[in-house]
Amino acid sequence: MKRETRRLLKKFFSNFSACLGFVLLVFFFIVAVGAPYIAPPKSARDPYMMPIVTWSSNPLPPSPEHPFGVAGKRDIFYGVVWGTRTAFRIGIIVTVVSTLIGLAVGSIAGYFGKLVDEILMRITDIFMAIPFLVAAIVLATILGAGLDKVIIALIVFSWMYSARLVRGNILQVKEEQFVMAARALGVSDFMIILRHVLPNSIFPVLIQASMRMGSLVITAAALSFLGIGAPQGYADWGALLNYARNWMMGSQGEALRYWYMTVFPGVAMVLFVLAWNLVGDALRDVFDPRLRM
Amino acid sequence: MLQKNLLEVRDLRVYFYSDEKRELKAVDGVSFSVGKGETLALVGESGCGKSVTSMAILRLVDSKGKITGGEVIFDGQNLLLLPESRMREIRGKDIAMIFQEPASALNPVYTIGEQILEAIMLHQKLSPSRAKEVALEMLRLVGIPEPEKRLNEYPHELSGGMKQRAMIAMALSCRPQLLIADEPTTSLDVTIQAQILELIRELQKKLGMALILITHDLGIVADMAERVVVMYAGKVVEEGNRFEIFKNPFHPYTVGLLRSIPRLDVERKKLDTIPGVVPEPSSFPVGCRFRGRCNFETGECVQEPPRTSLSNTHAVYCHHWEKVRDSNAEVLKECRAQ
Amino acid sequence: MVFYILRRLLFLPLALFGVSLLVFTMIGFLSPYQRLATFINNPERLKGENVDKLISQYGLDDPIFIQYLRWLKNVFRGNLGWSYVGKGPVFEVILERFPYTLELTIFSVIPIIFLGISLGVISALHHNRVVDHALRIFAVVGWSFPDFVFGLMVLMVFYSALGWFPPGNLSIWAETVVKSPVFRHITGMLTFDALLNGRLDIFWDALRHLLGPIFTLTYVELAFILRITRSSMLEVLQRDYVRTARAKGLSEKVVINKHARRNALIPVATVSGQTVVGLLAGTVIVETIFNRTGLGSFMALAAQQLDYASIMGGTLFFGLILILGNLCVDVSYAFIDPRVRLE
Ligand SMILES: Nc1ncnc2c1ncn2[C@@H]1O[C@H](COP(=O)(O)OP(=O)(O)OP(=O)(O)O)[C@@H](O)[C@H]1O
Ligand SMILES: [Mg+2]
Repeated sequence: MKRETRRLLKKFFSNFSACLGFVLLVFFFIVAVGAPYIAPPKSARDPYMMPIVTWSSNPLPPSPEHPFGVAGKRDIFYGVVWGTRTAFRIGIIVTVVSTLIGLAVGSIAGYFGKLVDEILMRITDIFMAIPFLVAAIVLATILGAGLDKVIIALIVFSWMYSARLVRGNILQVKEEQFVMAARALGVSDFMIILRHVLPNSIFPVLIQASMRMGSLVITAAALSFLGIGAPQGYADWGALLNYARNWMMGSQGEALRYWYMTVFPGVAMVLFVLAWNLVGDALRDVFDPRLRM
Repeated sequence: MLQKNLLEVRDLRVYFYSDEKRELKAVDGVSFSVGKGETLALVGESGCGKSVTSMAILRLVDSKGKITGGEVIFDGQNLLLLPESRMREIRGKDIAMIFQEPASALNPVYTIGEQILEAIMLHQKLSPSRAKEVALEMLRLVGIPEPEKRLNEYPHELSGGMKQRAMIAMALSCRPQLLIADEPTTSLDVTIQAQILELIRELQKKLGMALILITHDLGIVADMAERVVVMYAGKVVEEGNRFEIFKNPFHPYTVGLLRSIPRLDVERKKLDTIPGVVPEPSSFPVGCRFRGRCNFETGECVQEPPRTSLSNTHAVYCHHWEKVRDSNAEVLKECRAQ
Repeated sequence: MVFYILRRLLFLPLALFGVSLLVFTMIGFLSPYQRLATFINNPERLKGENVDKLISQYGLDDPIFIQYLRWLKNVFRGNLGWSYVGKGPVFEVILERFPYTLELTIFSVIPIIFLGISLGVISALHHNRVVDHALRIFAVVGWSFPDFVFGLMVLMVFYSALGWFPPGNLSIWAETVVKSPVFRHITGMLTFDALLNGRLDIFWDALRHLLGPIFTLTYVELAFILRITRSSMLEVLQRDYVRTARAKGLSEKVVINKHARRNALIPVATVSGQTVVGLLAGTVIVETIFNRTGLGSFMALAAQQLDYASIMGGTLFFGLILILGNLCVDVSYAFIDPRVRLE
């Protein structure tokens, strides 16, 4: 097992894009952890609220004082740094909780089969019948403002993917020889699922979760970009980009004058998502060649 | 043999290059020939390079592999030197091929008819209606009932045996001079297997074509082949006509292969098997490749075994073929004594 | 084939029923006051002390399943409430705006499918060579680009700097023509209507305004199809039937374009439903960024202004489109793969 792990790790790190993704993730992680030192909050109030630094609503270009410039009266640098924390927080909470829910639903469906399976799977279908972003918008709007509401909305509409995966695995493994053999020996289905099936599906589920992380963070940011969910001034990349929107519109001819409003939060966002996608991709290649695309 | 050879393979080498850029000598210096109308069996254990050899004849080795040497003389021209466009005219028209798995060798999204017609229209330049007649005729020839209906069916609507018949019809539709059948019956059940082989033999006679039959079933070889080439780990170890190989095998590997078929006429205490498995191409031993598994092994075997001609048709590649001959005689005596 | 489609159609009401249930459950989280808004068609009636009366009149404190049936009845009559954002009954507003979104979707689907498949095939044919690596980088970056980031950058470069892809639906002069009575509205989609009216200048203007959104959606959604095509093509090229095709003496072009590609498209068809989902979600963002009229920007606006009736109606409609879209995908799937047809 140890040697196997080492072999897989070696395979993972011999892949250039996997390394790149990993390095990016480590970088973002350091930024998130070190946020209070990199961009110290000015007041003792909620550090996730970006402080107001000017009185004019005009954006200011990068300067020594505000290295990424100022948008919507707020320091972009501060927002990008603390936004990293927000991205991690949303991504990890939503992924973990929705994966757990998915594991539970998928196991129940696969374990009981028949009617239970049919009902649970139809419910899953229904949840998937509304585009993720639209569903998240609706639920977040109904639940009201606040990051926690966004997180709930995202969880409610993203558990289905793990559920399907786990159920599929259980149904497949149920047919396999060693399970038949165990069953012939009188081992209960429950024990079989616990001992044989779940350990087998854990890697695919984790890989799938890491690949979903990117789209989750995008959707969360899309909500704040549209001004839904997180309150005004909350440190979030989507919210920073929202400030940029209005200035892009009315500025034909003043080419690229407000580039910094889009580029800094935009690049942070793209790199963050890219990192997860690269890592997820490489994990899949290493652990589960069957899922390869 | 008075006939001029239809196909002559000389010193053919096919190497594969793995991701780590290592050379895998899957086929390493294989030579044999096939006369017009003759049946040659290519036998050997799984992984010894039979399929790769046959693909190399048609120059269809996949992109990871390369034909690094040798000649394939067909009808007087070296196929390995032909331009790709000339080669395409030969594929399917002069040399046709049938594969092991009829289920995966037919394209699932086109009807049987579309797939047969394609070859006919390509090589014979017939009008679609005329080509359809030829296709129907072929399907009838291979014994597919209701050929008009089958023509419009998809592969998944046919049984395994029917698929293989359709495959044969497709291969024979342009009346090739040489048919390469790569384990044509391995995936079929025994009764169908016999039918298909009978069919191939019949058609071979009718159309007068030569046949290279690839198999690891020596029963089939005894039944069908005039000449036999025994391969081991990418090399030919012995070749001869059917009687020479079955009566007087001089290579320890051939002997082992023959001993491992169950027989009713000679009583033996247990079925002999050859110990071990075919090594991977990456770990072929130097010299005689059968080395690690052979009872006759001596220090000499690290040298490349020489070719010894025993008759016009019979040749063996072994340092110790005389010892093998003697031991064969002894076993025979023992059996008689019992 | 016909049976297959019919059977899929039979599932349609069931799926819609499920979606309506889900939407209503979400409505259930609203207070009776907010819920009232989701089915009162006339804003005048929502004034002052009327509201409490209306709540009991409409039975908004009744058991939930009775409320659901009542709501469903309303939905069937096309009564989805009053939209503040659209200033009209929700159903009418949706019908009026939907063609814009449909137009954008149609114009984006074509390059996504076409480019995605051909680039995927090219990538597979150059497996592990420079072209393949370049296309993979192109794809993974596109896949990681949030549509709003890419859209903003397109706006910045192609509108602010170069002035090529203007935001909005139409230029002002064209807007006046389109609003005038001589311009007949047949499909509701500006480009097609312009063609039907024989106004090439308006067609061109509408198309020019569409380019930015199309460009954005295409790049962001392309990656998925490209990756699936590439891997499925790689797998298919290893298959025995490709070897059979080569052994027949077919040229490489025929082998790839006929025998390999058709098979490689089967998995692409199965996942193209996800592309439809992505596109629909994408319209919410892209229409907002590029200031376009449409269902997507309508949803975003409604959400920002807490216009519950519009949100609910819009969601139901999105669900409907998605289910229909998936039906189309299933049918196309059956066209490509004969094995499905006969089930
Ligand atoms: N595409 C390939 N890439 C790498 N190695 C290959 C490839 N195709 C064949 N080989 C190697 O060539 C050797 C010979 O393979 P081949 O398919 O010719 O065996 P075979 O004699 O036909 O066996 P079987 O009876 O199982 O069909 C094998 O050991 C295999 O590892
Ligand atoms: Mg083989």
